[in-house]
Amino acid sequence: MLLAHGVGGRQDLPIPFSAALAGAIICLVVSFAALGFLWREPRLGLGLDDARPLPRFLQWRVPAWVWRAVGLVVTAYFLIGFFGPDDADNPTAGVVYVLFWVGLVPLSLVFGGVWRLFNPLRTVVLLVRGERSVRPLPERLGYWPAAAGLFAFVWLELVAPGRVTLPVIGGWLGLYALAMLAGGFVYGVRWFDKGDAFEVYSDLAGRLSPVARRDDGVLVWRNPLDGMAGLRPAPGLVVLVIVLLGSTMYDSVSNAPVWVRFVQENSLPSPVLGTAGLLFVILLVLGAYLLATRLAGRRGMGEQGRTSGEIAHSIVPIAVGYIVAHYFTLFLYEGQRTLALLSDPLMTGANWLGTVGWTVQSAFLTPAAVAMLQVTLIVIGHVLGTALAHDRALVLFPRRTAVAGQVPLLVLMVVYTVTGLMLLFAA
Amino acid sequence: MRHVAALLVAVMALTGCATGGPAAAVGPIKEITISISGKKVTPPPGRIEVRLNQGVKITVTSDVADEAHVHGYDKAATLLPNHPSVISFLADTTGLFEVETHDQDLQLFQLVVS
Repeated sequence: MLLAHGVGGRQDLPIPFSAALAGAIICLVVSFAALGFLWREPRLGLGLDDARPLPRFLQWRVPAWVWRAVGLVVTAYFLIGFFGPDDADNPTAGVVYVLFWVGLVPLSLVFGGVWRLFNPLRTVVLLVRGERSVRPLPERLGYWPAAAGLFAFVWLELVAPGRVTLPVIGGWLGLYALAMLAGGFVYGVRWFDKGDAFEVYSDLAGRLSPVARRDDGVLVWRNPLDGMAGLRPAPGLVVLVIVLLGSTMYDSVSNAPVWVRFVQENSLPSPVLGTAGLLFVILLVLGAYLLATRLAGRRGMGEQGRTSGEIAHSIVPIAVGYIVAHYFTLFLYEGQRTLALLSDPLMTGANWLGTVGWTVQSAFLTPAAVAMLQVTLIVIGHVLGTALAHDRALVLFPRRTAVAGQVPLLVLMVVYTVTGLMLLFAA
Repeated sequence: MRHVAALLVAVMALTGCATGGPAAAVGPIKEITISISGKKVTPPPGRIEVRLNQGVKITVTSDVADEAHVHGYDKAATLLPNHPSVISFLADTTGLFEVETHDQDLQLFQLVVS
């Protein structure tokens, strides 16, 4: 993703080959060690009854309307940017692509799926309609609306011509808001749980948060794997998760000189090629997933057609690890710049937030440290994904065939992870 | 949890060893010559590596009027038809930077500063 012409024009160096190789070897070893040494009885997703509560001074609960009001105010402030000049110093693109889209991941990893608290569209529907709906939310809709919304967003972010200009961003957000409000009005606020791409994105990452609120309202520490294992199969879930992983991979691919040359020397317009490339990478990632889960189901003697949905949750940490590895320097550099620009969205010389004078701090970001962190994040994602798939395989497959059923899943994850590492090395 | 910690240490050790030492001293200026004709970039877009703190001199000749731009460093030059324009600067930030033209929207190359 390449934003405006300022600091966002800097991208990470390719990681050294030895770093990519080290990461890949660790992943292989961990995966096959997991087969032999991990637990033999399923133990994840059993609930939070025994979870340890957070200390008392952290046990506060803010009324939901406070968060909703914050969401509305921040959104209103963000919208001011649309009235400013449409150039590189307008904060709008940075807010959407960096502070919001990339920033939502770390925010959710720490605090859980918080976007549902702030989401201004949910708030509008609640204000106007309350809990009413025209018709009940059909179960078969599942995550399909969110998967479609997610694809539309990554297309905007990675392919759309003029994606950093105000008309394009504004037009996209306007259409998206209309679609979400329509869904909310027809099906009630529950629509947003699985229908709003950003709530779902925040929820997926938020399941890896070490903190959760139990049904009785107490904040507890939990094993992030338990949170992730709580993601139950639903229509569209597999595609949703694959779009998340595949689009980030496409972002790497599209930066490789080979791809740049191909697009530039081709007579077809670049948005057409970009769309085709994005679809192609996603379909490739999806194909590998369906093949591996089908094989796993057959070799593991699982119930037919069940494996692919049940394993989808274990792809999330791999995708999140790759997303954070891929985008965290962008978040640090461009995020700081955007915060500075936000003080003066109309470019009148104002300093509303007092951040105008901020210069971008990057002292500790040496190339070696960045490469190390990237590989570490990807390896952590892989380890979590492997553990999740292992645990779920114990549920899905009879004991006798559980190991045989896991082999295709492990191969799939190793392929995803090594591809991610190689993309960081080569693209 | 102990295994995860051990793993992290291993990753850090392995990847830490893998990356280079301190930045090189200022070397000779890296001269890069690009020409654009009929939307075709010569040499075709690829990666050009320079050392941190090395001088970079980019000469661009285009058959139509345009503007060349180095992302990140935010250096630009106006291109007049068939007239070489020069962008020169000190590569004092590590990273990967795209060099492109604005009107024709062509990527010229990616500058790798390490």
